[in-house]
Amino acid sequence: MKLPHRRPRPAPAPPPLLCRWDLDKTYLRSEFDTLRQLIRTARERGEDKVEVPGVPALMKALQAAADRRGRPIAAHFISASPPQIGKAIRDKLALDGVPYDGIVFKNQLQHLARGRFRFLREHVGFKLGELFRGRLEALPGTRELLFGDDWESDPLTYSLYADVVSGRLAPAGLEPLLRRLGVDGQVLPELGMLAARACGLDGADRILINLERRTPPAVFRLFGPRLVPTFNYFQTALVLAADGWLESEDVARVAAALVERSGYTARRLENSLADLLRRRLVASEVARSLGRPLREARLLPPEPRSWRGWMERVRVRLRRAPVVGPQAGPLDYEAIFARMRPGTARAGAQGARA
Amino acid sequence: MPTIAVDAMGGDQAPEETVRGVADVSLQTDIDCLLVGDEDRIQAVLERVAYNPEQIAIRHCTETIASGDDPRESVRTRRDASLLVAIRAVAEERADAVVSAGNTGACILGAARHFRPLAGVRRAALAAVLPRRAQHPGQDPLALLLDAGATVHCDADELVRFAVMGSAYARRVSKVPAPRVGLLNMGGEPSKGGEVLVETHRRLAALPGLDFVGNVEGHELVTGRADVIVCEGLLGNVALKLFEGISEALVDLARAAAERKLVWRMGLRLLAQGVDSLQALTDYRRYGGAPILGFEQLLLTCHGRSDARAIANAVKVAAKAVRDRVPAEIAGALGGGWR
Repeated sequence: MKLPHRRPRPAPAPPPLLCRWDLDKTYLRSEFDTLRQLIRTARERGEDKVEVPGVPALMKALQAAADRRGRPIAAHFISASPPQIGKAIRDKLALDGVPYDGIVFKNQLQHLARGRFRFLREHVGFKLGELFRGRLEALPGTRELLFGDDWESDPLTYSLYADVVSGRLAPAGLEPLLRRLGVDGQVLPELGMLAARACGLDGADRILINLERRTPPAVFRLFGPRLVPTFNYFQTALVLAADGWLESEDVARVAAALVERSGYTARRLENSLADLLRRRLVASEVARSLGRPLREARLLPPEPRSWRGWMERVRVRLRRAPVVGPQAGPLDYEAIFARMRPGTARAGAQGARA
Repeated sequence: MPTIAVDAMGGDQAPEETVRGVADVSLQTDIDCLLVGDEDRIQAVLERVAYNPEQIAIRHCTETIASGDDPRESVRTRRDASLLVAIRAVAEERADAVVSAGNTGACILGAARHFRPLAGVRRAALAAVLPRRAQHPGQDPLALLLDAGATVHCDADELVRFAVMGSAYARRVSKVPAPRVGLLNMGGEPSKGGEVLVETHRRLAALPGLDFVGNVEGHELVTGRADVIVCEGLLGNVALKLFEGISEALVDLARAAAERKLVWRMGLRLLAQGVDSLQALTDYRRYGGAPILGFEQLLLTCHGRSDARAIANAVKVAAKAVRDRVPAEIAGALGGGWR
């Protein structure tokens, strides 16, 4: 008997991807440690601004990978800088040719006008609010990648957000944490409301922290395996490729940009890859398959062909423990506060005693 | 960008301080480092400190040579020892120089086994730096003393070669155009010191292109009379250790005195800056390592007690010596015409 011809069912469309980017120290190499640097940064034009090496190539690679798979993708910047520098930032992004869908700045004038100077440097509440709003406007089933740096509160803000979205942190549990962080009391009710709506939407899969300050990676263990600290955007691209967001050609694009524009050498890229392997962020087999086209393109040095080199590779593979996935358990925010913001932890303990 | 192979497991405080030193180098300079040792232990330290992974590679190995181990036996039997793996990395041109705070005897024997000797060199020399009082304008505050322990006794031919090698090293690393070379002896007259030293004096005085200032006595080691001081290993090692011991004892005596009387304590407070600068002058951590001269490749040995700062300085000195092509300079001076 001949079976009736059935049309193959079309593959389900991949879920949309929402990339959230911090701006200063994540995309831009902004210097504002001193008042003079702050003034200079504020007066810079688009062409004066300098990006962190490899980041435009990574953003383009994410777009290209999503386009190949028919995945809707959006990239949004959330910056605690004032909107007055918006034009220079937009000019810079246009010069770099990076695809993005939105950019939000923090309205510092609002705090200045009310004389609330201590909130000028408090960004957790502002960023959290924008993250929730952006997520509530996103398509259902959206997956998220969060990009930040090790200068201020990105690891903490992103972790709080991802925990609320995943349902691990109840909106009611968020408020006391934000109070201890010194978030403006006037925005807490709105944050609570946004958190309640976003709770359980899930999909905030990875937090990628650019170690611009070269903070020791062990510091970030408290944030669990969902948060990955990386030393350059080649490492970020490799982690994203291991997670399935990029392919080897996309990683090669980032590597080539670093070699051509920022003076990276094949050996330094190889060292970066080896560092990820040692930190168990990428499995040996994945690194090998991703590395092959890079070696062919001479972006990585050729593998030694001697039996000693082969033995060494086998030995390394046997010695290494398995890679840890991004699934995070509940985070210990007490320990995080004690490590990242000792003053906050003390205040919390005193509050508890009172 | 030179690559320096660092024996991560060598030294009293290894791998903690060795790895910290390399991490500091990766943040402060463009030098690439190859850390050789137990990968898990190295990585455990790295993750706790600030570092730049782009400039650090790790070569895992399983064995170590401790400071108390027999050098000859260890070099013969422990092929996978971190020191020997680091030396082989340089011999096979995967790195440009070695730095180790491990067993000095094993460093010398390992280098002799795997490195190529410069043409005409029969025995290598350990060249240590010695802080001294500068007497001439533009004079380096450090003198070079060789041999500081690679040999025990030497003949005149070897001492003359040490003088030529030391002079070439000082020319490149200390940037002294014509280093003054002295022969460590028990008196200033050319006839002093026995047959070997008399013959060495005669030959050095006749050697063209070498600024030989004659015999140097013990008390002149810390003056600016000579930039390069030549002696056999036994004598050099005793002189070096005596110098270290005296400077440590002086600081200890000053501290002990301060504890006894209030007036002395106050006096020491007033002299604190001077005592600190004396301590700094004699602080081995400032000077990096001592190069073993006589090979086409470079190896710097550090003090066994080296901390991160000492290791970092040794790596920087090694990189400088590689950039300045020190072995080629020495070979040229010896007439080897290498490279």
